[in-house]
Amino acid sequence: MTTDHTPRLYALAASILGFFLAWAGIAAHPWQTTSSAASQSAALETYSRRLNADAALVAALAGRRKAASSVRVVTLPPLTTTRTS
Amino acid sequence: MIRHAFTAMGTEVELLLEAEDSSLLTEVEAEFRRLETVLSRFRSDSELAQLNEAGHGHVGPELLELIELAVEARTASCGRFDPTVHDAVVAAGYDRSFELLQDAGADPAAAPPRVGGAITIDRTTGRVALEPGFRIDLGGIAKGWAADRALAVLANAGPALVNAGGDIAATGRVWPIAVDAGDSKITLGLEDGGLATSGRDRRAWVRNGEARHHLIDPVTGMPEESDVMTVTVAAGSACEAEVLAKTLFLAGDSQRALDEAELAGIPTVLGTSTGEVLLAGGLR
Repeated sequence: MTTDHTPRLYALAASILGFFLAWAGIAAHPWQTTSSAASQSAALETYSRRLNADAALVAALAGRRKAASSVRVVTLPPLTTTRTS
Repeated sequence: MIRHAFTAMGTEVELLLEAEDSSLLTEVEAEFRRLETVLSRFRSDSELAQLNEAGHGHVGPELLELIELAVEARTASCGRFDPTVHDAVVAAGYDRSFELLQDAGADPAAAPPRVGGAITIDRTTGRVALEPGFRIDLGGIAKGWAADRALAVLANAGPALVNAGGDIAATGRVWPIAVDAGDSKITLGLEDGGLATSGRDRRAWVRNGEARHHLIDPVTGMPEESDVMTVTVAAGSACEAEVLAKTLFLAGDSQRALDEAELAGIPTVLGTSTGEVLLAGGLR
């Protein structure tokens, strides 16, 4: 008496296919919308650009100071006033 | 102490000198008036106005030096300070000497002019060329520069201070200087160097019912909108202080301006639109 293995093979193939489909589905993170992922990436990019710009500006400002002026808060009566020029 | 005051370059100029001889004061006043004929954007016969009109030309040593300083400041401030804001300032309504400004009604629908035009300088020939469509306004740097020059002359006679409309250069002693920042009563003692204030509390006007001021954000071409009201900065010279004050004013918000001042160690007094006065850069 011979055993027909065909149904078993079909079942095995179907379960392997199902496993890979489920794996691909989970790996695609379907609960995270495409637009939020894209906006998160754009926000990170903007933040990174701003940090770089700030770092460059602060370095430039610091480098520009030829000589530190000697200044401090005092309680003397003022002789003149600085205001918007 | 001798005190001498006069009006020049569209602002009040005050000279303080601890010396017996006052002859240098009149000499300095004459120099301020001469510089106005070179640097004013409101006088059609000034060297600057003629350069703006033609878009290129040979300029004298003072205008050349100032344009070079302005271009250097643009680079150092990553574009926040920009001498090519001329048309944006005019579009905002500052199209004549400040005391003559009225609500003349600019076109509110007009797009803000571009800022950031190229300036080509040939130092050996003294020739300057502006990118077509751009003109220069040196109002943001000229008064500080003139104050530094005047101080160099007065310092030969004794301790001196030059105040050109709020841009101050001083040397020789501790000069107590009040900071006009809202309700603040802060007084700074400046021994040697410069002090300058940028803000929207003055040189502000109403255009088509909207509040405008003279400090242009080069990115938008429009007057800067933020919670910063005034920024006062101390530096090695009045010219440098003026550039730094404007750069910090255009930081975008008060916290960012304070952070930058703190990180770079720039002595700063910042007044906010809510009346707060905050110190940074080593001032306590």
